[in-house]
Formats: sequence, structure tokens, C-alpha cells
Amino acid sequence: MDAQANIGVFLCRCGDHIAPLIDLDALQKDIHKQANVVHSEICPFPCLKPGLEHINQMVVRKGLNRIIIAGCEGRLMLKKFEKELHLLDLHKGQIDMVNLRGHVAAVSALSPPENAVKAAKLLKASIAEMRVLAPSPQILAKIDGPVMVIGDGIAAFAAARELSRHNIEFFLATNTIEPEKVLRKIHHTYPGERQYYNRLEGIIREAVESPLATVLPFVKLAGLSGVTGDYTLTFEADWRELPRKYRAAAVIACLDAEMTPPGPEFGHDGQQVMIQPELEERFYQNGIPPGRTVFWLNDYEIEQPDFAQLSAVAAWNMARYIREHASKSQVVILYNQKLTIPLSAADRALNRKLGILWIPYDNAVRPTIQAGFITFCNLADHVEHELDWDYVVMSPVRVLGGESLRVAKILGLIHSEGRFITGHHAKVRPEMIGREETYLAGSARYPCDLHEALNQGQTAGLKTYQMIKKAAEGKLYVPRVICVVDPDKCVGCGQCQELCDCGGIGVEDGPGGGLPRVVDPMICTGGGTCAAACPYHALVLQNNSNDQREARVAALSRQMAQGEVVAIGCVWGGLPAADNAGKLGLTYDARVHILGVPCVGQIDPCVMARAFLEGAPGLILVGCIPGECHHSFGVDHAWSRVNVMKKLLTLAGFNRQRIALAHADLNKPAEFVKTVESFTQIIAGLGLIERNPANLEKLASIYELIKYNTRVRHLLSASLRRPWEASYRGEQRHALDYDRDFSAVIEEEFLQQRLLRLLEGERRPLRLQELAVSLKEDEVQVADCLWNLVTDGSINLSHQKREAFYSLIN
Amino acid sequence: MIEFNINDRKVRAGQGWTILETARHYGLDIPALCYHESVAPSGACRLCMVELREGSWSRLVASCIYPVQQGINVYTETERVQNIRRWIFEMLLAACPASQEIKELAARYGVVSTRFPIHDPDQTCMVCGLCSRVCEEVVGLSAISTVDRGVHKKVSSPFLRPTDICVACGCCVSVCPTGAMQAIFDSVRGEPVMQLTQLTA
Repeated sequence: MDAQANIGVFLCRCGDHIAPLIDLDALQKDIHKQANVVHSEICPFPCLKPGLEHINQMVVRKGLNRIIIAGCEGRLMLKKFEKELHLLDLHKGQIDMVNLRGHVAAVSALSPPENAVKAAKLLKASIAEMRVLAPSPQILAKIDGPVMVIGDGIAAFAAARELSRHNIEFFLATNTIEPEKVLRKIHHTYPGERQYYNRLEGIIREAVESPLATVLPFVKLAGLSGVTGDYTLTFEADWRELPRKYRAAAVIACLDAEMTPPGPEFGHDGQQVMIQPELEERFYQNGIPPGRTVFWLNDYEIEQPDFAQLSAVAAWNMARYIREHASKSQVVILYNQKLTIPLSAADRALNRKLGILWIPYDNAVRPTIQAGFITFCNLADHVEHELDWDYVVMSPVRVLGGESLRVAKILGLIHSEGRFITGHHAKVRPEMIGREETYLAGSARYPCDLHEALNQGQTAGLKTYQMIKKAAEGKLYVPRVICVVDPDKCVGCGQCQELCDCGGIGVEDGPGGGLPRVVDPMICTGGGTCAAACPYHALVLQNNSNDQREARVAALSRQMAQGEVVAIGCVWGGLPAADNAGKLGLTYDARVHILGVPCVGQIDPCVMARAFLEGAPGLILVGCIPGECHHSFGVDHAWSRVNVMKKLLTLAGFNRQRIALAHADLNKPAEFVKTVESFTQIIAGLGLIERNPANLEKLASIYELIKYNTRVRHLLSASLRRPWEASYRGEQRHALDYDRDFSAVIEEEFLQQRLLRLLEGERRPLRLQELAVSLKEDEVQVADCLWNLVTDGSINLSHQKREAFYSLIN
Repeated sequence: MIEFNINDRKVRAGQGWTILETARHYGLDIPALCYHESVAPSGACRLCMVELREGSWSRLVASCIYPVQQGINVYTETERVQNIRRWIFEMLLAACPASQEIKELAARYGVVSTRFPIHDPDQTCMVCGLCSRVCEEVVGLSAISTVDRGVHKKVSSPFLRPTDICVACGCCVSVCPTGAMQAIFDSVRGEPVMQLTQLTA
């Protein structure tokens, strides 16, 4: 592919939606003069077959390698264009859309020529981005070799069986492989499932006895490195031998949650008052308990109401087992009124036949356990009744712990201590995400019954097989918009790995341990907050890089006039809200210029600084609602970055209101309109930042500081919210102290940056007075700062005629 | 190239183009609601009906799904087309009387009232299924679909409950031709936890 960008711009008339409202002819003339624009034209409908065929011809005839379509919502239409132009070697990232209909034509009350001017600004920004784009080649994903199935969960066998049925080699790393022993232990994690045991035996045998299986019994996982397709798993050294390493193309983890007894207030003693797995154990050891067994479904009381249904089914199965095998034993199931009994009609009939009593109790009054009695508040008469018992069986507390937690941590699956692993992935479109279900099965993911666990195991096996098959057929490509590490710049500080929520950043084995410096392309969601946080710009979001965004924002900012605002909306919040405002025909201030990004978290603060440097009077980021962020913490990270920018603006003597973070709900476009209008009012009141040398010097210093100063970037990066933290503020310290310290560092570094810039610009040794006057800063402060720079070795200090002169080191 | 006539005007089209695509390419307006460029057409709303004439007989076809053929004569504004269009508008006005978008479009074609009984004055959805097609084809999920049959048919997530499958991208809201999805959307994604839109201080 040519390095030179040949941009083709196609302006859509869109029936009567765009053509009568925007002076397209004037717009086309303006755009055609832009550098790198090889072709531009007005089409009736570029998105329909006639238009698409025409674009295809033009791409071939003029050798276009970037396409910009100015029409409607890229969120909806981009996929179609990518599909149609794929064969011409135009891929995701090389096609861009500007929403003229929704962001210009439908929402402003301007005349067509004025609209054309606004549209030209947005288009020129897009052209600037396309010019900078360095498209990556399409890379085929390579996934072959054995699959590692790891974990003590029962789902491992289901996954292994599925792999063996599809002729895929696999390692099975699990502690127990004899079916009898597995079955003997299964009630620890899945109580009340004994009616399925005979069917389980077959699954286990088929998996273990498969000729494709390599069983690794009694091994303990110690480490994982590499990426999808080429993992290396290290197993802990036994006293006899060295650590063993295995290479695997994919990893399927089958982990189960633990069941622990509830707290002392429930009177658990493991003998008479026990939890469900303990009753199952008793069945094995002492047989069916005589007398009256009371099952108390206390899930609401142990604050796990979501699992009440699971406990209820387990309790019913055990109750059934007792009644079927010991007709003299009595069974009562005591349940909270909030629970709906999960029994089918046939189950209910059997229940009546067996005489199992289900008693609901009032949720308002907590049952208590006393010696020989359990009290509960009757629903019918609200009188507290007592029920005598010989054995009480309670619901277990389900937690993620022990070995499962350890393995999950090594595999990079864990995200919040003690919480289940599900729901931790970014909530984005399927084409963007890694494959959660392929590498995780079992009740550690989320509490489930045996059937569901086996199902998950089977699905994991099947999906892995499909992925390997697709890769073998040469149809599986590495996603286009993902992070890549530049090994020359990366120092291995690990900030990105801490921040990454998708778990895509892995370690690379090296001397002295693993360095977090490889990105698994099949897991990365392209959220990009990690890339924006990198102090050294070593992490680059491929095909959607910081340079591209900077170019786009800079190009737009350069064209901003008095009162005009650059608004950057995320594709899940601000941008669709703007699209929908356009669709509904809501009009808002035409001075708002909207750009879209996949997540506001990927906006590096240097992009914000660049906007002001290039002349934007105001910048607003419109993200998702906090807590609804699709890339988990992007909006929180954007908050911290905006906050730093506010500090810097204040330091430099500008109004801190020029930059703001806002939130938008895509379904409430009217609210979005209020947000941007209010911000535009503020900016209109503030006026332009005067383009005089003093202001430009400060703005350039801000930009250089936030882009290149690794101390500030490290501090900022460290202050961002981590996935396991409840909030983004540095809670380890006093909030105000922390803020003051942070501000002090910024202040110090800002002055240093300005001094360095000044010395660089003058190219001659300068005196302290000259420097202080030139920067209009206090002489004592400047002297302090200069001394720091001299001791750092950043600048030279020399004496001429008893006067100190400062100069840059050549 | 396939040559045929639209409103007695000679037009040329490529293999596999539909009448609607060709007409739009030549700047002819055919109203359509369930048609969206981002997904395959389905011919659900029937608003894009055009007349095909050959000799003494004529028939009505949905132009969004009718592939062009050599030498056909298409008419988009004949009395028969206008008549059927009026009927469809009246039925739509009765089916979703609360939809502002449909009212506006109908008014543009001169239909302002309906003679059919209105069963639900608050209804906005015409159950064209465009939202579920977008969810499947553009987003790659199937968080919403049409459920039930006949007069009970409606758009919803499985079991009428908020679903985890929905990524809340809002594509369905953006394409909905009647504005109904705005109300349905919250019942699919679940109401967002916080209802705030504010500038940070």
C-alpha cells in the first residue's frame, strides 16, 4: 500500500435531507482544494448499490486508499461500507464518515452556504486525520496447537470432551481424573445433583481416555505468558523436578466457586446445623439423617438473593432424595416469601406425593435458630411460630476463593476481589470483544447449577474449536483497532496493565521476570485508555492512534472562530445523542462542532492541550453516564485528564471553564442539547484566547508539558482509577493534600517547561532577570526552578563578568 | 446494464439493483419507512409500492425488494399507487396514532385522517422490525426481536425484561422510523443508574 494518502471524499445528497440544506457545490469546491484529496464528488446516495458501485470504480480508477463519506451516522453505515470496500484492500480505519445530516443539516437554522462552511470544517478535520493514518496490514491470526484445559471444575471434562470430539489435541490439567473420585467430590461445589452422576461418568471417561488428551495430574499453575495462539503455561516445580512449561494455542479455564458456611449468627456447627454440601457429605458418611430435617433457604439473609433459586433447587433435590430413600424421615423447606418456588408442574405433583412441606415466612422478621427450634413469622397470621428440628440445612455462601481465585489471577481474569468473574468485560459490540466464554466456564464465572456448568464447558470447547478452525481456514483476522506496544519506547512500568480492563495486556518473559509489554490482539477491545495513559507514548491504538486524533482535533481547532466549541462525543453516549438530536430535528447552537471517538477515555490530555494551542476557544468531552461507560472506566479517566487540564489552564492564567466533561444518554437527545448549549454560552462569554506571543508561549508549554513530561504523565497515570477501585480519587491519602501535592508538581514542572522553551527559542545564554521578565514570573520562583534544572543537569550554568548565565545543554 | 423505464423515463441500472435504489439514484422520491440503507430490505411497511405495467395489465410491487429487469415499466405516481399509498397511510395512522413521524410523512402525501378504528391511541410502533434487523446485521447481536404474533406482535427483548445482551449502542433508536424505539429502548437496556447530565464544576 502507498504511504501517500489518496483521499476520496463522497458527499451525499441524501434525497432532501442534505442537498437543500447545505450548499454542496460550494462545499465540494472547498474540499477539492485540500491536500491529498485526489477525488471528490457529490453522489445522490453513496450508500445504495449504484453509489457503492461508483465508489468502487473510483477507488480503482484513482487509486484511492482513504475514503471519507459525508452523509449520515457512521455508527450505522460504516459496517456496510467496510464490507463493500473490503475487497479493494480498504479496511476498518481507512473509511471515515462525517455525519452532515445529523450534525449540520438537521440541527442548525443556518443558511445553506453557512452550513457548507460548518460542514467544511468538520470534513477538513476528517481529511487531516486520514492524512496521518498509517494503516496496518491485515494480519491473519495464527492459532494452532494443543489447547490447555485447566482447573478443577467439572466443566473441564465437558470442554475436553468437546475438543476430543472435534479432533483437537489438548492438555487436561486437573487434580483428579478417576471418575469415581471426581464424583465423590462434586457435591462440594454442586450439591443436590446426584441424579445426574451416572451421566457424568461417561463425560469424564470420554475426556480422559481420548487419544488426543495429555493428562497433567497434580500440577499447580504458576504463570502464563504470551498471547492467544501462543501461550506458555508454567506449572509449579515439584520437589523432584524443574518447573514444567507447556505451549498452548488457547486456554480454557474451568473454575468453580467455593461454598462456605454463613456467619456465627446462623449457628452453623457442621453437625446438626449445616450447609447443603455438608448434608451431601453426611449422606456418604452416615447415610440419611433420621428425624426431621429443616431446609432453611436463607439466601436473602446472607445477602445473596440472586442465588436463592439455585439453593432452592438443590434443597428440593436433597429433600426428594431423603424422602425417596427414608420414608420415616421428615422434611420441611422454609423459604423467604420473596422466593418463587422453582418447581415445574410435574415436580409439584411429585412433591405432594412425597409430602415435602414448603413453608414461606415473612421477609420482615428474620428467623432465628434456637436449640431444637427454629422460629419464623407465619405469612398468613403474622404470628411467630416455632418449628422443631433434628437437623437444619442452610444455603451456602458462594464466594470465589482459594485455588480458583489464584488460577484466575494468574490467567488475568480477576478484576475485583471476591466478586465473580462475569460481567467484567467491556460492554461493546461483539466484533470488538475478546472471547470471554471460550476461556472461562464453571461456577466461578457466576454461580450456576451443574447443567449450566457443563453447558459452559461444552460451549467453551466448541468456540475454541471454531476459532481454531477459522484460523486454519485462513479466515480469522487480527482485529484492526487494537493496542500495540512499541518495544523501543516501552520501559515496562506496568501502568497500562493496571489500567486495562479487558485484560489484553500480558507479560513477556524476560530476564528478571515478566514485563507487561505485549498486547493480546484477540482480547483487546480497543478502549484505548491504556494508550492515553502511557507516560512514554509506547502504547499505540493501531488505526485509531493518538496522532490521528490530535491531527483531527488540531485541524478543527485551527478553524474555530469566536464562541465556537469543539465537542468530542463518545460513540456510546455523546455521539449517538447528537445523532438522535439530528434525527429528531432538534436545533441547537450551530457553533457546536461534534467529533466522534470510540471512548472519551482514549483522549490523551495532549490532544486537549493541542486544541487550545491551535485556537479552540472551548472544548467539551461528552461521554457516557458514569457507571454506564462501555469501556468500564473511560469516562472516569477522562475526568482525571480534564481535571489536570483545568489545573494547567488556571496556572497559565486562562479560565478553567474552557474545558469540561459532560455526560449524555443517547436516548435523551434533548438533554444533550441542553448540555452543549449551556457550554457554548459559557465559551461565547469568555471569548477567544488572544493569539499573542505570551499566550501562545503558555499554550505551547502546556502542550509540551502534558505530551512529553514523563513525571507529570506518570503521576496522572497513577492517579487514574484502577478497575478494582471503587472511585477514581486517590483514596489512600487525604483528598485535599493529594490534590495540593499534585498541583504543586504540575506548577513546578510547568515553570520548568516554560524556561526550557524560552532557552530553546533564544538559543543564547540568558540571565535570571531576563528570564523572569520574559515569562512575567516571580524572580525568586524562577531562580528556584533554574537551580533545580541545573542540579538535574538539564541546563548549563556559566559565569561571565560575575553574572550567572543559563543556557541549554547542546 | 439493464435498461428500463421509470415514469416513462429511460433509466439504466446494474445487476441486482432494486427499483427503489435505482429511483433514488435518479432523484425520484418514493416514500418508505421500514427501509434503511444499512440493512437488507425486508418489504414490511409496503409504503414503497410502485406499479409495474405491461401492456394492458398492471401490478403493484414493493420497490425496495423488487430487483430491476430489462424493459419493465415502473410508475411511481399513478392513481393506483397513490390510492394504495393513501390506504397504507390510513392504516398506519390507525395502527400508530401517536407517532409524530408517521403523521408528518402522511401529511406530506396529503393524508391527515384515518377511517379505521384506533385501538391504542398511544401506540407509536408499527412493528416493521427494522430495529431488530439493525441489531442483528449492524451490531451483530439479537438483543431485540419481534415477539408474539398477529395483533399482539410487538418489539421487545426476550421475556419483556432488560437483557444483558443489549450493549446499549442505540442503533435501534437511531433507525426507528416512527420514534417508538425511544420508549422501548429503556426497557431493553434497563434504565441507566444515574439520571444526570451536568457539567463538572
